[in-house]
Amino acid sequence: MFIHNFKYSLKTLFRNKELIFWTFAFPIILATFFNMAFSDIENSEKLDIINIAIIQNDDFDNNEVFKSAFEEMSDKNNKDRLFETKYTTKEEAQKLLEEEKVVGYMELIDDKPKLTFITSGINETIFKYVSEEIMQTSNIINNLTEEEIQNQIMTGNFNVDYESIYNKVIEITTEENVKLKNISSDNLSYTMIEFYTLIAMVCLYGGILGTVSINQNLANMSNQGKRVSVAPTTKGKVILSSVLASYITQLIGVALLFIYTIFVLNVDYGNNLGLIIILAMVGSLAGLSLGVLVATIIKSNENVKTGIILSITMLGCFLSGMMGITMKYIIDKNIPIINKLNPANMITDGLYSLYYYETLDRYIFNVVSLLIFAFTLIVVSYISLRRQKYDSV
Amino acid sequence: MKNVIEVKNLIKEYKEIKAVDNLSFEVHEGEILGLLGPNGSGKTTTINCLLSLLNYSSGSIKIFGKEMKPDSYDIKSKIGVVFQEVAVFDELTVYENVDYFCGLYINNKETRKKYIEDAINLVGLESFKNFYPKKLSGGLLRRLNIACGIAHKPKLIFLDEPTVAVDPQSRNNILDGIKKLRDNGATIVYTTHYMEEVEILCDRVIILDKGKILATGKTDELKELAKIEEKISIEINDLDINYIDKIKELKNVDDVKYSSNILLVTYKKGKNNLVEIMEFLKKNNIKYNKIYSERPTLNDVFLELTGKELRD
Repeated sequence: MFIHNFKYSLKTLFRNKELIFWTFAFPIILATFFNMAFSDIENSEKLDIINIAIIQNDDFDNNEVFKSAFEEMSDKNNKDRLFETKYTTKEEAQKLLEEEKVVGYMELIDDKPKLTFITSGINETIFKYVSEEIMQTSNIINNLTEEEIQNQIMTGNFNVDYESIYNKVIEITTEENVKLKNISSDNLSYTMIEFYTLIAMVCLYGGILGTVSINQNLANMSNQGKRVSVAPTTKGKVILSSVLASYITQLIGVALLFIYTIFVLNVDYGNNLGLIIILAMVGSLAGLSLGVLVATIIKSNENVKTGIILSITMLGCFLSGMMGITMKYIIDKNIPIINKLNPANMITDGLYSLYYYETLDRYIFNVVSLLIFAFTLIVVSYISLRRQKYDSV
Repeated sequence: MKNVIEVKNLIKEYKEIKAVDNLSFEVHEGEILGLLGPNGSGKTTTINCLLSLLNYSSGSIKIFGKEMKPDSYDIKSKIGVVFQEVAVFDELTVYENVDYFCGLYINNKETRKKYIEDAINLVGLESFKNFYPKKLSGGLLRRLNIACGIAHKPKLIFLDEPTVAVDPQSRNNILDGIKKLRDNGATIVYTTHYMEEVEILCDRVIILDKGKILATGKTDELKELAKIEEKISIEINDLDINYIDKIKELKNVDDVKYSSNILLVTYKKGKNNLVEIMEFLKKNNIKYNKIYSERPTLNDVFLELTGKELRD
C-alpha cells in the first residue's frame, strides 16, 4: 500500500501543471533573470575600490591591529585591495562624506570603531563588516595575551613564554586575513548571494508540495481525503508515503536548478558542492515541514495555504537578503532573533559561511538549526494529525 | 434477517443545532435502504457519523456486528462509499483513479486488475479508460465517482446522492448499476432527495427531516401515511371557479385545487374516480386538454407529515 500510494502521489504531483511551474520552472526562470540582471552589476562593480576615511586620532595610532589591517587592505600593491583610505580629521572626513567622496568614515574610540554613513548600500556594509571583523580579532588577541600571561603567573612561571603567545597571535591574524581576503572585490559576488537566496527560496517552496500531500489525504481538507479516510489504511502510512513523494519531487526541483545554474549559467559554487547539496536537502526538508504544518493547522482551501507558504517564503528570503544584501545585515544587527528563526536565512547563511569561511562551524550551526526547525514543525503537525475524527468535514 | 448496520440513539450537534436528532435504525443484509429527505435533513451527516469521519455527541453505531471506530480496518475493508461530491484526482486517468482507490483495499495486482475492469464495465466507462476527469461530462464524472467507490467489491455500500446533476442517460445507467450491485449481494444505503429514485430502487425507506426520522417502512407502507388514494390532474383553460365547489361535492373527493390551468382533485378512497370526473366535465360541457391519474407519491407522504414539499 505504501508503494502504491507513493507511486500515485508522484504521478499526481508530476502531472499538476501549477505545481510543476512553481517547483521546476519558476526557479529556473528566476535564475535566468538573476543571471541577466546581476552579472552586469557584478562586472561593473567588481573593480570598484571603496573610498573611505579614517579619523587619525591617538586611539587609531596606538591600535596596531586596526592600523596594519587597513594599511594592507588599502595597499596599492595588494591585488586584493578593497579600500582607498584617507587618514584625516573628523571635520575633513565629514566634509568628504557630505561631498560623497567617501562612503563613510571610521573613528576609533576606546578601541571600538564608530562608523558614520549617509546612505546604506553594499559598500557601506562591507566597510562596516570589515571594521567589526578587525575589532573581534583585536579583542581575541588582547584576551589571549592577557590569559596567557595570567596562566603563566598562576602556574608560578614568571618567565612568560612570549614566543608561544606570538605564534598564537600570528595564527589568529592569518585566519583573519583569510576571512578578510575572502571579501575582497575579486571574491565578493553579488550574483552568488542572489543564487544563495534563490536556492533558499526553492527549498522553502517545498512547502507547497507538503501542503498538497496533506490536503489530499485528510477528510476535512478534500473530497479525495474523505475517500482515503474511509479506506482500511493507517493515516500515518498514507501521509508518510505522500510526503516522501513530495520531498523527492522537491529534491528533483532543486537538482534541476543546480544543473541549470552550473551547466547553463556557468555559476561556480566552488569546492563545496557536496556540502551545498546537503544544505539544500536539509533546507528542502524544512520547507516541506513548513508546508505540512500550514496544511495541518490552517483550515482553508489549498489556494489560501499556497498563498501563505509563498508569502512566508518571500518574506523570509527578503529578510535574508534576496532583494538586497543590506537587509540581511540590518536584521542581523538589530533584530537577530528574526533571522535565527528564519529558515531562509539559515539556508543563505549556511551557504555564505561555506563561501566566506574556511571552517565549518557556522555551516554546521545552520544545518543543525534547520533540522531542529523541521523536527519541531513535524512534531507539532504529528500531534495535530493524530486526531482521527472531525467535528465537520 | 441479519442486521448489517445497527444505529441507536445517534445524536450529532453543531453548537446549538442538532443535525442528527436521536436516530435509531437498522439496515438489513442484502437490502437497499433509502434515506429520503430534503437538503439539510441530516442524511450526509448521518452517513459521515456511520463512517467514523465525524465525531458524534452520543449514541452507538455497529457495523457487521462490531462497534464502528476510525481504526476499525476490518470493517472498513468491507465498505464502499460514493460521496456526494466527486472525489477523484484530475491528474489521473479514469483507469488510474479507479486503480488508485481500489489499491487502498486490494493489494493483489491481478485481482485488482479484474476488479477495475468489472467496475468500469458496471458504470459503462469502457470507452473512457484513458480520459482525464476534466474531459468527462458531469454524468460520466459521476459514474467514475461510483466506480472509484465500489471497485473493491464491498459488502456494504453507501451512496450519497450519486445522481445529483446528471443527465437522464447517466442516471438510468447509475440506477441499473446499483441494482446489479444489490443483485450481486451488496447491502446498500442510498441517500437522495429524488423520491422517484427511492420508489424505483429501495426496498425500505427512512424519511428524514431536521435530523429526525419521520417514518420508516416499505414504499407502499409509507404511502398509506399520505391518507389519499388517488390524485387526478386535469388541464383546463379558464375554469369557472363555481365548478370547484361542485366538484368537491362529488363522491370520495377530499380536496380540489385549481392553479396555472391545472385542476387537481384528490381522493381519499374509492374506485372509478377518473370515470366520474370525466362524466362531470362532459355533463357541464367543460373542455379539457389532458387528464391523468396518479397514485400518491412519497412527496405526498412528506407533505402529510411535515406540511411542506420534499424539495422545499
